[in-house]
Amino acid sequence: MMPFLDYKNVVPKTVIGLLVALIVILPVFTTNVITLSIFISSGIWAIAAMGFTLVLRTGQFSLGQGAFMALGGYTSAILTVKLGMPFWPSFFLAGIVSGIVALLVGSVVLRVGGTYFSIITLALAEVVRIIAQQWEPVTRGTRGLITSPPDPIVLGGLEINFATSTVPYFYFTVCLVAITALIFWQIGESRLGRSFAGIALNPVLAEHQGMHLMRYRVIAFTVAGVFTGFAGCLYAHFLTVITPYMLGLWQSIQIMIMSIVGGISSLAGGPIIGAILLYTFGIYLSRLEIYGIQQLLFGAAVVLVLLFLPKGTGLVDLWERFWRKVVWREEEYEPDTPDD
Amino acid sequence: MPPVGIWIDGLIQSCIYMTMAFGMVLVFSILGILNWTHGQFYMLGAFVVYYAVTAAGIPFPISILISAVVIGGLGILVEKFIIERVSVPSAQGALYVTVATIALIFFFEGTASMLFGMQDKGLAMVLPGVLNLGSFSVSYQKIAVVIFTLVIMITMYIVLNHTKVGLAIRAAAQEPVAASLYGVSVERLSLIVMGIGCALAAMAGSIMAPLYVVNPFIGGIPMIMSLLAIVIGGLGSLTGAIVGGIILGFLNSVVAYHLSYFSEVVLFLLVIIILLVRPQGLFGASLK
Amino acid sequence: MKKWYSRATILAIVTLLGMSGIALGQPTVIKVGLPTVLSGPAAPWGQIGMDPYLAWIELFNKEGFKVGGKTYNFKLVTVDDKNTPEGGAAAAKQLIFGDGCKFLAGHWSWNFPAVAAVSNQAKVIFLTRTGNEAVPGGVYDPKKQPYTVFANPSHDQFISDLFALVEAFPNYKKIGILDCTIGKGIGWDYVEAELKKAGVRYHMEWFPFGTQDFTPYITRFKEAGSDIVYVAGWVGESMMFAKQRWAMGYKEMRVGHSGPFVDVNMYNAVCGLDAAQGFIGQYWANWDFNKTKVNPKYIAMCQEVMKIVSQKHGKPFAYSGWIGWGPSHLLILAQAMEKAGTVDDPEVIMKAIRGGTFDTTTGKWTMSGAKTYGSPVVFGTPSALSMIKGDKEVYLSEHPMKPLP
Repeated sequence: MMPFLDYKNVVPKTVIGLLVALIVILPVFTTNVITLSIFISSGIWAIAAMGFTLVLRTGQFSLGQGAFMALGGYTSAILTVKLGMPFWPSFFLAGIVSGIVALLVGSVVLRVGGTYFSIITLALAEVVRIIAQQWEPVTRGTRGLITSPPDPIVLGGLEINFATSTVPYFYFTVCLVAITALIFWQIGESRLGRSFAGIALNPVLAEHQGMHLMRYRVIAFTVAGVFTGFAGCLYAHFLTVITPYMLGLWQSIQIMIMSIVGGISSLAGGPIIGAILLYTFGIYLSRLEIYGIQQLLFGAAVVLVLLFLPKGTGLVDLWERFWRKVVWREEEYEPDTPDD
Repeated sequence: MPPVGIWIDGLIQSCIYMTMAFGMVLVFSILGILNWTHGQFYMLGAFVVYYAVTAAGIPFPISILISAVVIGGLGILVEKFIIERVSVPSAQGALYVTVATIALIFFFEGTASMLFGMQDKGLAMVLPGVLNLGSFSVSYQKIAVVIFTLVIMITMYIVLNHTKVGLAIRAAAQEPVAASLYGVSVERLSLIVMGIGCALAAMAGSIMAPLYVVNPFIGGIPMIMSLLAIVIGGLGSLTGAIVGGIILGFLNSVVAYHLSYFSEVVLFLLVIIILLVRPQGLFGASLK
Repeated sequence: MKKWYSRATILAIVTLLGMSGIALGQPTVIKVGLPTVLSGPAAPWGQIGMDPYLAWIELFNKEGFKVGGKTYNFKLVTVDDKNTPEGGAAAAKQLIFGDGCKFLAGHWSWNFPAVAAVSNQAKVIFLTRTGNEAVPGGVYDPKKQPYTVFANPSHDQFISDLFALVEAFPNYKKIGILDCTIGKGIGWDYVEAELKKAGVRYHMEWFPFGTQDFTPYITRFKEAGSDIVYVAGWVGESMMFAKQRWAMGYKEMRVGHSGPFVDVNMYNAVCGLDAAQGFIGQYWANWDFNKTKVNPKYIAMCQEVMKIVSQKHGKPFAYSGWIGWGPSHLLILAQAMEKAGTVDDPEVIMKAIRGGTFDTTTGKWTMSGAKTYGSPVVFGTPSALSMIKGDKEVYLSEHPMKPLP
């Protein structure tokens, strides 16, 4: 018999699948360095934004994700430049170091939670910057470290050379984003992920129900730290330079904006959309010649998006609304909203 | 023992941080949000005073009042049309407000860059001259800063403790629900408090304008310092804001005199220690 | 018969057009990219150079330069680099891959490593300045960056500036040097070594990024006995320093910065007219140089540009910093291409640049630095200083840079 096809579920997902496939085969159509660079940078920020959203799922608001990117980037830079390690082990160590720091900091600081946690993460971003700046012998201070592209990989007869072309970076980023998105989505769907939501909504109740608040918060924070560290490492090796001011307070804020504008309801789709759209918007803005208009438009755009989206949603939620209202022409059924 | 000049400098810095932090805490107590645009109102206040004095020839003290009114009004508009619209009544409501106020930082900086130009401007001609007091000198501008801050603080004290509005503010800060039972309209109060808070930031920017430079980017550092002062003093406490501002101001000058650029490191270490050991600051309400 | 006529006519017209094309000799345009600061706090210093650059290039293009019998013109394409590494890399990519520039010149922002990484990978010749990361023992490696040229020896100019300062005030007690912690690094070790070698008395201080209140630093300098304080760049900060030292009563303490004066009126307005008098800065008005001979043709061109821009702005244009950057870089490029006999081959052009002598708007200098920087790609500089007098800047002193080992 014909299996019942839930087309309302399958069709949007197929469209997304097609888009993703298009992005993956993009280098076939164009090897324009600028286009590929935009996708690579957006992908890196998307990973960091996913980390932010994951931590947010447990009700914590981290203003210091830039610090983990810096930690990942500096770890890998120091290992490859000062100790001569090859790229791939350094890459993994970057994530691990970043995760360990997240674990240590989180264990101490997540106890407090709330606004204080946010301020401490903010201070963390500055502390990492100050350490990178002052620890001259290791980090070369403000001048930063100059990294090299990863070594060429030889697969059979094919050589993947990072130094001569941007395409290998592109695929590396796509893989990393895909892996991160899959892992995070899985976490979100799992029992662990659903527990996160519980402790975010009502910590007191959750604790009474036997959920160990700290454990979940620290797990989320550490996982976010690991992947943000990976993103930072890729960033450092893509730009081939890392300086203390590159990944600090303002980048943490940028990550937060991408995550929230993208939509916090989705662990993978939201941050990715937010990162790509905001980053590309920023690139196009920088081509405007009128001084000051870049910041003006960026700020105005973010505020307008927040004002015109329904309260509490992000851009990713527009996708669902588009299908429901425009394509399927569903009637809007508003359930009673409980009073707060 | 640092020379007198350093202590005077510390006093001036304290005045600024105190005024900024006070405004920020006021907004936080009633609206429950950290207004990240606070620093931009400092910058805009400085510009209003600059144009009032140089383009319109209005005397400096009146320019400060004009700046307070204009920027206070701007703050009320921001609160009404942006913050209220964006805020979600849930635990994560603060998130959207934070993003909105941070986005406004970029917006105001960009607007100021476009309208006023990015080049440095100065108000050095206001109250020029130096008072020689033997081994050290004090400029009249610095004396003016201290006098203005005293006036502002005394005014705030009178308003908060001896007027109906002040009573309403204090009530709403402590017990919003009970206050509304007594007929206090928390929404209208939010607007008033936002206006006062932003006016304070504008006044801080105005009185400092002759001492420093006026350009679209001067709002960043006062914002962060104000935040640190609040952390030291305690998030919800007005007394804490004043004490935090004083500690921060003197710390900066004295430590910079002895340790030069390490003052930055010392400052952050202090903030981190406070956050770890006593997160509620010196005067904040203790956490459960 | 008619067919023959029409064919002949077409042939004649085409031949005539072709000949007139050759006769008109339309010069070929070479695009040169300029990643520069056009947004953020440092923007006024990027913006103010745009008008004079474009005016100078227009004057230059009237004659152009000849390589292999063909005439060439320059076209400048500018992109904002935001003074950050990411911005620099993005700007370089946009200029090279988006706008098709084969050369980058006039660059003075801080993001040297990021831009150099992109330009060297694309085999694009990049004319920039020394300083920050590009210092002896720093990140510049001639083997990894064979297409980088230091057309402004800013780092070594700073040292020469201090010598010029000492020559202007031979009875000085101690020079105070102030820099932001952002600039900390081995470059300063090099500077201090040179100063010690020359017997200059100095005292160094650092301030954190974002400092507006310099009272502690002024006090420290005073207690160390400094009577001249020279700030490494940082215009806003040095204005604050000058203003605050005057307010503290230290009127005999001289203040200066290693950078040209954007607008003297700004200094007078921000510091106060009396506090700003005697403020020292870098001077690039080649018509006033005493010790460096500059080609009179270039002097005339520069003065012409000042007139043109003054007319365009409707008020006197006094900023001369542009003379030491864009035009000088372009002249080096043009003369190198003439010598190399090609405008396309970066290897051959770089070969002509290394160790070559070039005559530009800042004088005639030979590329040096084979030992210090690893490759003789560092140009020279007059290292002239000026001082604020009234509402103008006047020539103070000059210490032409000696060739580097």
